[in-house]
Formats: sequence, structure tokens, C-alpha cells
Amino acid sequence: MIEARIDLPLARFPLRVDLKLGRGVTALMGPSGSGKTSLLESIAGLRRAARGRIALEGERWLDSDAGIRLPPNERRVGYVPQDAGLFPHLSVRGNVRFGLRDEAAAESAIETLEIRDLLDRYPVSLSGGERQRVALARALATRPRLLLLDEPLASLDVALRQRILPYLVRIRDRWQVPCLYVTHNVGEALAVAERLVLLQDGAVQADGPPKEVLGVPAVSREAEAGLENLLAGRIAGHDAEAGVTRVELAGGPAVSVPYAPERRAGEAVTLSVRAEDVLVAVQSPSGLSARNVVAARVTAVERTGADVTLHCALEDWDRGPTWFARITPAATAALGLAAGNRVWLAVKSHSVRIV
Amino acid sequence: MATLSTILILPVGIAAALALARFRGPGKGMLETLLSLPLVLPPTAVGLFLLELLARRGPLGGWLHAHGIEVVFTWKAVVVATAVMSFPLLVRSARTAFEEADPRLVGIARTLGCGPWAAFFRVTLPLAWRGVLAGTVLAFSRALGEFGATVMIAGNIPGKTRTLALAIFHDNQIGRDDRAMALAGVTVVLAFTALWLTEWITRRRTWAVEP
Repeated sequence: MIEARIDLPLARFPLRVDLKLGRGVTALMGPSGSGKTSLLESIAGLRRAARGRIALEGERWLDSDAGIRLPPNERRVGYVPQDAGLFPHLSVRGNVRFGLRDEAAAESAIETLEIRDLLDRYPVSLSGGERQRVALARALATRPRLLLLDEPLASLDVALRQRILPYLVRIRDRWQVPCLYVTHNVGEALAVAERLVLLQDGAVQADGPPKEVLGVPAVSREAEAGLENLLAGRIAGHDAEAGVTRVELAGGPAVSVPYAPERRAGEAVTLSVRAEDVLVAVQSPSGLSARNVVAARVTAVERTGADVTLHCALEDWDRGPTWFARITPAATAALGLAAGNRVWLAVKSHSVRIV
Repeated sequence: MATLSTILILPVGIAAALALARFRGPGKGMLETLLSLPLVLPPTAVGLFLLELLARRGPLGGWLHAHGIEVVFTWKAVVVATAVMSFPLLVRSARTAFEEADPRLVGIARTLGCGPWAAFFRVTLPLAWRGVLAGTVLAFSRALGEFGATVMIAGNIPGKTRTLALAIFHDNQIGRDDRAMALAGVTVVLAFTALWLTEWITRRRTWAVEP
């Protein structure tokens, strides 16, 4: 078991968490910039400014009161950053054996992640998915006592993501180590995690079994749970008459969600909108029942299995998150959608959930 | 002499370059400017400062003299002069290379079990070695051609402190242009070999290309 009580000043807010993680995978979700990566780096020992107490099976890695700070090389964590972070000057074999502690573990990782054919190649020639697998193998070869995975699948397209997910499940089942897994994807969290921690503005917002935290209504929905838009905001006010609660997105527009009087005004919340629930229009829509309509620009059109996923940037929201909208190839063709197009995104209040 | 001075400045230069590349804070700009000063000052001015510093009555020279070490007008002065003059070249080149080496990779190396030294030798240096090598060659060539500072602090004593650059000047002054030309030829060969070797080593297909 690992205990982590961390206090770390960040640019916009302090990271303050107190977590106890057992075996198995804990998914860590939250909007961009909520402190997820900082939390992983603090546990790995890469943030010298982190204070508090971190202990694995009672062995103290950090104890600011007692003046203890174990350097990263003595913590034995398997850290896989978002971009894999392979050493470009070493071959795949060199990378995997970089921190080798256990020949059998390395062999087993090479086997599990199916990278034997890549061993003599260099990172520059690997695809995104291959890099992630090599980075995972490199971490596993050190026989880590804790795995810290920072969006290991984020840089991959959806099809590749679905191919690598089974590897992660295999790792979870074969290496019985605690694992903290950062993701933006609800489907991933449901697939690999036994527990979900929701982080916002450096604080834990929710903590529990993924299904409960995400409020997924039925098991049948799980399988299709795909891409999700997660948005940070604050409760702006309630309108019982209209049956909506208004939520101001941090730095962005306000959106309507189903009336939720139990939320205090000013309370920080995370909203979730499934990519399938975002309607796309090429003209400013009128006479629509959907309460949330925003202008956006298509930044990318990605073919994802049978569907098309549009990546959109909201107008009037600089540095806001990318919004994902999933539509059919037929709709894409009918609307003539391509990167650079101006579109309007419409979301029914009832498609927005407070998670 | 040039080789010795280059070897001497390597560890210090690399440490200084790394420090400049990694640390931010007050005083950094000032430090950078100070380190680069010998590049822009007239070499004779630098030589004069060194002379004042290391002379038997100078602040450092007095202490060294008390310990039985004479620097001024000996071969040691040549090394000191060339080292000071070529140091900034090494630092500037190596610093750029270190800045391009991603510090996050060092963090990852640390989580993989490397101590700070191991991380430096296994990650930072291999990523930056081209720049360090280029800087070393630059520094070496500067050391080879150093004239102004050397002549001020080491003089021009035949067989003792007369460097190639000084000898060329001297031979030309006394009308032995043939000997000056021969020596100049030697410098061409030395410089050419050094530059060509660097090119050859850095051009060799290594990790940056397909296997």
C-alpha cells in the first residue's frame, strides 16, 4: 500500500492531496492543468518542492517533518510519461535494459508487450504505440514497486488505443503492483481501473469505484463508453423555473446542466459530455431545443473505427480544451466537414453530467 | 600546451555550461557576460589582467610564489593564458548542446535507478556530446592560435614559452619568412586534422537515423 500526503505549490493553485492506494489500478482523471502530472512527479521524487509524507509499505520516501527525502533512484517507481520519454541515443534494447534489475522481468515485459521484433530499432523509427509499449517495458524491467502511468495512450489515435488497452490489462493482472493511471478517457478508466480519483485545481473532487464516480447508468453503456469531454467549471446559479443549473467553465462560456439545487453556487465541479452527444451544425442553429450552443473551429478530423471524431477548438476561448464530437462518416460527408471549418456545437442540458 | 589547456578546461567548462543551461535566477546574466568577456576583450588586455593577478606581487601570484610556484614567463603561463582565452568558446558551444538535451529525460533516468552522476554520463552527455566536442575543437584551435594574452603573460622565450603563433610572428619579424611559412603550414595541418576529425565523428551515422 502506498500513502501519499502531498503539498506542492503550483503556478495557479497548490496541489494538496491525501491518498492511500492499494494493489490494482487507480485511475486519475481531471481537466488539463488540474495537477495530475505534478502528483505523479511528486511521488516519483522529481518535484523537489513537494512536501508532506509519502510511504510505500511503511517505508518512507518523503517525510518533510523528519527531513527525509529519498532520491528518485532509490524509490523504484516505474514512471511512464505522456510522451514515452525514450532515450533517443539508445536502441529499444538499450532503453529497456537501461534500468534493468531483473532479467526475467525484462524478458517477461518484452513478451507481454510484444516488442521483441523492435529491439534493434531506435526510438526515432518507432510509431507512437510502439514507443508507449517500449516505455512500459522499460519501466517494468526495473521491477517497480509502484507504476505511475501518465496518459500512456493519450498520444495515440482511438484505434491504436484499443489495441494497447489489452496490454495494460495484462500488465495489471501479471504484475501485482499498485498503479496510478492518468487518463482523460472514461472508457479506459472503466476498462482498467478499480478505483477512480477525480482531481480538480489540485484537490481531490471525488474518489471511489469508477462506475459510481462517473455515474455510468447501465453496464451495457460501459462497452461503448468512449471519448468524453471533461470540463472544469464552477456553479454559477440555479433556475428552478427553467429547470437548469448554470455552470461557468473556467475561462470559457457558461453551460446549462440539469437542475441540481444540491450544488452550492461557486462550487467547483467537473462536467462530462460524451463525444457522441455533441451535435454539429455548419450554420448557427435556431429553433433548437438544445440549450448549449457554441461556435468552434474544427482542428482535426479523425477516423475512429466506424465513426469520425472531430477535434474542435471553441471560439472566444483561448487555450481552452479540445472538444470532441463523434459523428458518422455520412454526416461528415454531408456537411463537408474538414479541418479549419467553422461549426456550431450543440449539447442538450441532459447530455451534460456533473461527475 | 594547447592540448594541456584544453584538457584542463574541459571538466570546468562542461560544469559551467551545464549550470548555465539548467539554472535560472538572478545573477545568471551577469555570470554569462563575465564568462564571455575574454571573447570580446583585446587579448592583450586579458593578458595584462592575468599578469597583474599572477605576478609575484599580484594577489594570486604572491600566494603561489610563497608555495614555490612561478607562473609568469614560464610554460604554465602559456597554459593559463590559452585556457582563459578558449574557455568561453567551449562553454558557449556546450551550453547550447545541454540546453537542447531534454531535462525530463534526466528525470526519467533517475526513476530508472540512476544517481545524478550516472544520469549525467548515461543521458545528458550522450545527448549533448556533439556540441561538447565541437566546443572542444573550437577551444583547442583558439588555444593553438592564442597570441595576445600569451605574449603578455608568458613572453616570447625560445624553447620555453614560444608557441607556434608566437614563433610565426617572430620568424617573420627577423626576416625568416621561410621558417614562418613552414610553421604556418604546421598549424594548417593541425587545425585541418582537428576540424576534419570532428566533422567525421559527428557525421557518422548514429542514433539520429534509421538503423
